[in-house]
Amino acid sequence: MNNYLEVKNLSKSFDNFRLHDIAFTLPKGYIMGLIGPNGSGKTTTIKLILNMLKRTDGEVKILGLDNIADEQAAKKSLGVVFDSNYFSDDWKVSQVEKSVSVFYENWNTQRFSELLDKFHISPAKKVKELSKGMQMKLMIACAFSYDAKLLILDEPTSGLDPVSRDELLHILSEYIEDGEHSVLFSTHITGDLERAADYITYISYGELFFSGSKDEFMDSFRIVKGGREELSDDLGKKALGIRDFATGFEALIKTEDIKQFAHLNMEPATIDDIVVFTSKRGEQYE
Amino acid sequence: MSNIWKSVKLDFSLVRPYVKTICFTMVLPVVFAAINRSLLTGISFAMCFIAMTTGYTFSITEKNSMERLYGILPIRKSDMVIGRYIFIIIMGLTALIFSLIAHPVILTILGESIGIFDYISAAVTGIFLFALYTVFQLPGYYKLGSIKGRVFMYIPVAGFLITLLPITKSPVGESKLLFTVINSPILLMLLAVIFVIAMYVVSISVSIKILKNKEM
Repeated sequence: MNNYLEVKNLSKSFDNFRLHDIAFTLPKGYIMGLIGPNGSGKTTTIKLILNMLKRTDGEVKILGLDNIADEQAAKKSLGVVFDSNYFSDDWKVSQVEKSVSVFYENWNTQRFSELLDKFHISPAKKVKELSKGMQMKLMIACAFSYDAKLLILDEPTSGLDPVSRDELLHILSEYIEDGEHSVLFSTHITGDLERAADYITYISYGELFFSGSKDEFMDSFRIVKGGREELSDDLGKKALGIRDFATGFEALIKTEDIKQFAHLNMEPATIDDIVVFTSKRGEQYE
Repeated sequence: MSNIWKSVKLDFSLVRPYVKTICFTMVLPVVFAAINRSLLTGISFAMCFIAMTTGYTFSITEKNSMERLYGILPIRKSDMVIGRYIFIIIMGLTALIFSLIAHPVILTILGESIGIFDYISAAVTGIFLFALYTVFQLPGYYKLGSIKGRVFMYIPVAGFLITLLPITKSPVGESKLLFTVINSPILLMLLAVIFVIAMYVVSISVSIKILKNKEM
């Protein structure tokens, strides 16, 4: 099996929000970043994958298994880390293992102990005594202890200091090294993805904006800079987003359009640039 | 280990830090039995009290946003629900057994004599009342959660007050049906068991349906 996660035409309607026709594929052995501004539908997408929300339409396959029909089997190979801890605050770390390990036939106690050592987590500490970063590592240690093939992280770096974020990215890179594991990683801290992700899926206002390799994503756009007098109508039409200053402007354009504006300063666009510039006009881009 | 028992074990882990409080809940009704000098009312009070703690698992789950943990575990929702009911029933039976030992000891010290019939009627009444309270409480908690559904915590209090009067005041001899049932321990137990099973089957089915339709 080459694809660990396949999402096809996934849709979900709420009273005031609609996630529409989301589709992406995460191959085995890679990290995919799921990006988009707050409220764009990242967490909804993840909850639909986990069958924690009922989809309106579409299909999700986790390691080739339908996420609803084969939910139990699929979840045996799935590890999930949310933005905050989901264990009882009053549990000791050792109690977390006792409580969770029974649900996984291939739980490896020795591996769990090794991971606690590696992450400097004391088994005698209560969950509420751990820092946010440590709690996140505890969730990861659990997922690694039953050798979850696919790890899904929902905004794991929000609220973490730069050191903890760096450690997390290092852990994820190690995790996929053997080519047998994959990671879906939702975040709005796009700097993390530039370091770690192989693929990007960008959701904007409930619509799929892009899904593909990170290099392709970043190569698809350029930042154009110039004085105010250089901001032509033609550029205005082609630009996916424009930021005006007193002295000039910055605009995001598609790489295929750069020849027309070769006289202007061009810079590669960062993921942050792409998200910021397109978030206001994302729905216009096809 | 079946998924249902794994779920029971997880629920036990949830309430483990609160075991002392639950034990206190079991001990307190002994005082009531001593004041009232009645095993039947003592047991009824004990089951009312313990039924008020059935929301603990829901409260802890809600407080820690643990519905996300339940959402990722490789276990069917129906197994989670059945596991929780079994855990609650085990809690109720533990309270009942403790009360059936502790209350008679206190009552005997106070000079009351307790016969086998008193034991049987108290046990059957205790089981029945506990089931009656919890079959309404648990679907309520599943539907509304422990905070919005706090009103369900007080079902046992209302139920106890409603049943207290008939238990203490109603002369058995006035009702032929009640007289027949109460004077036939086997019939009494059989009827109670049938009612309890039927109530739990319906309640579990409702709770499973609620959880399956619930979005986390």
